Amino acid sequence: MTTPTTISTTTAAAPASLRLENLGRRIGDRAILDGVNLAVAPGECLALLGPSGCGKSTVLRLIAGLDAPDAGRILLDGDDITERPPARRQVAMVFQSYALYPHLSVARNLSLGMEVRGVPRGERDREVATVLQLLQLAEMGQRRPAELSGGQRQRVALARALLRRPRVFLLDEPMSNLDAQLREELRPQLRAILCGGSAPVVYVTHDQQEAMGIADRIAVLQDGRVQQCGTPQELYQAPANLIVAGFIGRPQINLLPQPDGTVLGLRPEHLVAVTEGGLPVRVLSREWHGASQQLLVASPQGELRWTCAGNLSIGAELRLGWAREHEHRFVQTTGQRC
Amino acid sequence: MSGTHRQRMALGRSALVALLLLWSLGPMLWQLYTSLRSADALLLGSAGLGGGWTLANYTDVLSGDPPFWRYMLNSTVVGALSTLFTLALAIPCAYALSRRGGLLRLLVGGGLLAAAVFPYVLLFLALLEVARQLGLANNLLALSLPYAGLSLPLAVLLLQAAFAELPVELEENALLEGFSLLQRLRWILLPLMGPAVASTGLLVFLFSWNEFPIALTWLSRSELLTLAPAMARIAGSSVFTVPYGAFAAATVLGSLPLLALLLLFQRQIVAGLTQGAIKG
Repeated sequence: MTTPTTISTTTAAAPASLRLENLGRRIGDRAILDGVNLAVAPGECLALLGPSGCGKSTVLRLIAGLDAPDAGRILLDGDDITERPPARRQVAMVFQSYALYPHLSVARNLSLGMEVRGVPRGERDREVATVLQLLQLAEMGQRRPAELSGGQRQRVALARALLRRPRVFLLDEPMSNLDAQLREELRPQLRAILCGGSAPVVYVTHDQQEAMGIADRIAVLQDGRVQQCGTPQELYQAPANLIVAGFIGRPQINLLPQPDGTVLGLRPEHLVAVTEGGLPVRVLSREWHGASQQLLVASPQGELRWTCAGNLSIGAELRLGWAREHEHRFVQTTGQRC
Repeated sequence: MSGTHRQRMALGRSALVALLLLWSLGPMLWQLYTSLRSADALLLGSAGLGGGWTLANYTDVLSGDPPFWRYMLNSTVVGALSTLFTLALAIPCAYALSRRGGLLRLLVGGGLLAAAVFPYVLLFLALLEVARQLGLANNLLALSLPYAGLSLPLAVLLLQAAFAELPVELEENALLEGFSLLQRLRWILLPLMGPAVASTGLLVFLFSWNEFPIALTWLSRSELLTLAPAMARIAGSSVFTVPYGAFAAATVLGSLPLLALLLLFQRQIVAGLTQGAIKG
């Protein structure tokens, strides 16, 4: 007899894939979601990225069954689960607040769901011990959630999601209550634990850096629509419209309206100092970041953000150029890439 | 200078506290004192504080026919049943109400509030008619029905507020984990509502313990009387004397179970009453 040493996220069923077809959700006159189409492959991590109020949490709640769409279908492995009650969808969700049961110990938080689903005692204890080990919580089993640090609570929430053996993982801003350093530490751990299994992962965040760091693909959501869906590289290299261009990349892309009715997009990190040609600029302010400095410069076309490796002081005057392949052009009226 | 000022402040505060304590506890201490004095000592005041102490009032009350503990038992039975009925009905109502939004909740909440503040004394004649028609007089089980009915509006309102305050994600997570409605209540919601349930239950129990007009009109057989009408009977038992001592002893005995309950649930009650105090 062998005891499992890792929790696998596989289920008895075949690898799942998640498809959202033309999902719509309205509240009153307001369209929260308007024709959302997305597909997530088994083991793939899709980040839903967008400002607050863009409908990204609504997408999660529709997948979980906590909310019902007004239009469209949700398919899991080809099964239409749009009408299925949440308890029978076999999805796990990590809430922003973690939603740990405050009156129960960590171990009980983890085992109660299995108990309710009729998993026998011995198996429950074994699985809880394994997952506590996996998430470095072995000593924490008897503590209450209130006695844990933020990072530990987050891992307990993750452990509980793992024990559900879900067909889809849903994470709603799981790191937004943690400080920046902890977020960076946890990102690779989270990826290692969740992604690459057989369940699709949908990860909601408003932080583009987190989305780039954790996701295989990113869907940028605004005004209830998917603005673009692709790998982080695709979104960075060829943003489909002004919204995506503004959302991906830090510092934010420079957008310069041109006389011909287009908008020229230039990323701060693609500007270089040149001896002749280009734009004459003067340094207005600077932030020093060690490896680079972040400058705001005045040019005849307006103020520009520039990430520069050198060390320039305020008031310095020089000329800025860029390579042709780094130009992004958008139609001014529609915002679409041209 | 500021030292003496602070001392004077502290002194003033202590005096104020002492005054408040005297005000709220004074009548009870007076009853306790009265219950332990012989009739002569009370009426003539001749014995002084050195003599005239007696337990006779207690033995009298307890050896009456029926003995006083019988009334306490009756009140306990009625109180426990009313509390049980009320909570059993109020918890599901409150849950449902707290999970509904908008107009319905507003309307039902308003209706409940109106019912909760309605002076129930106006109802007891009508209730008496109901009791007669249905043959519910002289039945302790039946008495707890109007009590539960009258307590229900306030209980639903209190519990509804407590349900509304629980983070909705807790229940949503349980839903995704496969909990049924009853399992969610049993394992997640009710354990977190302990204080609210305890304080609501205690309010219901208190109401039933103190209720007088309905008990007086529904119960006539003396072995079925609850405390309130029984005490009234003791007070009016003789034309020629007022049995101060016996009445005081009955009062003290009658408040002991409540005192015990309060001590037992003190922590929960305080937590329950202050719950939501800081929510804007």
